[in-house]
Amino acid sequence: MSLILHGLPPLHWALAGIGIAGVTLALLFLANRRLGVSTGFEDICSLALPLPYFKRAAVISGRAWRLPLLAGLVIGGFLSAALGGGWQPTWALGLFDQAIGWGPTGKVAWMFVGGLFIGFGTRLAGGCTSGHGIFGLANLELPSLVTTLSFLGAGIVTTQIVYRVLFPMVGL
Amino acid sequence: MTFVYLILGTVFGFILSRSGAADYGFIQGMFLFTEFQLYGIIGVAVVVTALGIRLIRQRGRTLLGQRLSIDEKPLHRGNIAGGVLFGIGWSITGMCPGPILVNIGEGKIYALAAIAGALVGAGLLGSLYPALERWLALPPLGVGTGEG
Repeated sequence: MSLILHGLPPLHWALAGIGIAGVTLALLFLANRRLGVSTGFEDICSLALPLPYFKRAAVISGRAWRLPLLAGLVIGGFLSAALGGGWQPTWALGLFDQAIGWGPTGKVAWMFVGGLFIGFGTRLAGGCTSGHGIFGLANLELPSLVTTLSFLGAGIVTTQIVYRVLFPMVGL
Repeated sequence: MTFVYLILGTVFGFILSRSGAADYGFIQGMFLFTEFQLYGIIGVAVVVTALGIRLIRQRGRTLLGQRLSIDEKPLHRGNIAGGVLFGIGWSITGMCPGPILVNIGEGKIYALAAIAGALVGAGLLGSLYPALERWLALPPLGVGTGEG
């Protein structure tokens, strides 16, 4: 299987895993920070929403490091595209295009609804794949095990419903 | 230090982009059990990070000599409820929070809709927190559900 991005072959999973661990450990060893991305959504919200929830010390004090980290993620994606065949805006969505086939309007609605679940869910759970799934599990934290099993389980059930029941594909 | 975070984010983003972790097809393949890739990535990342955390804990200090401090996340009912909601969103979009930003950088236009949804979702959670805190017995506002 190849990436949607220019049909590039993926990095070996072991290499990618070691690389992600390297970034996580560098963040801890250089800066005393535990990896986590989803609180960055709160950091962005805190720039616009004057609610008590977004004025918590954890949010305000985290902005100075989390916002640059988030900006780096965007730059990393840009460099990956630019160096891997050229950067260009695209609507391509692989399996979704083959099995569901909605155009741009449908994709925007689909992604917005999914995004709502991500924003609300990760902040209710206190973390996402990085904060719970990588750092929390590696640090042997029980809440992270509970959360990771919950999101993996829900993801499996949802995708099975979407691609084996609602929009079944021959050969999948 | 801002520059360090920017560089680490860039490296992280590049790896997510090229590994399949920010790719709709590989995420669905993980949930369909047709692709091993993401299980391998997460498994190796967790094991290597765990070993590294042990070493850094033994030293007890960061590179610059600051005392190591790791805020552990609280256990609460939001772990399951929020985890399930997030899992549904991860499946729908094929992106978790980091990869939403990576996809935006790659030029995937629909990822802008995903981040708009995620920010509205986080905003909703923030505005409903007092009610949710009572209903689900979540940690008090000052503690929060866990940072990360």
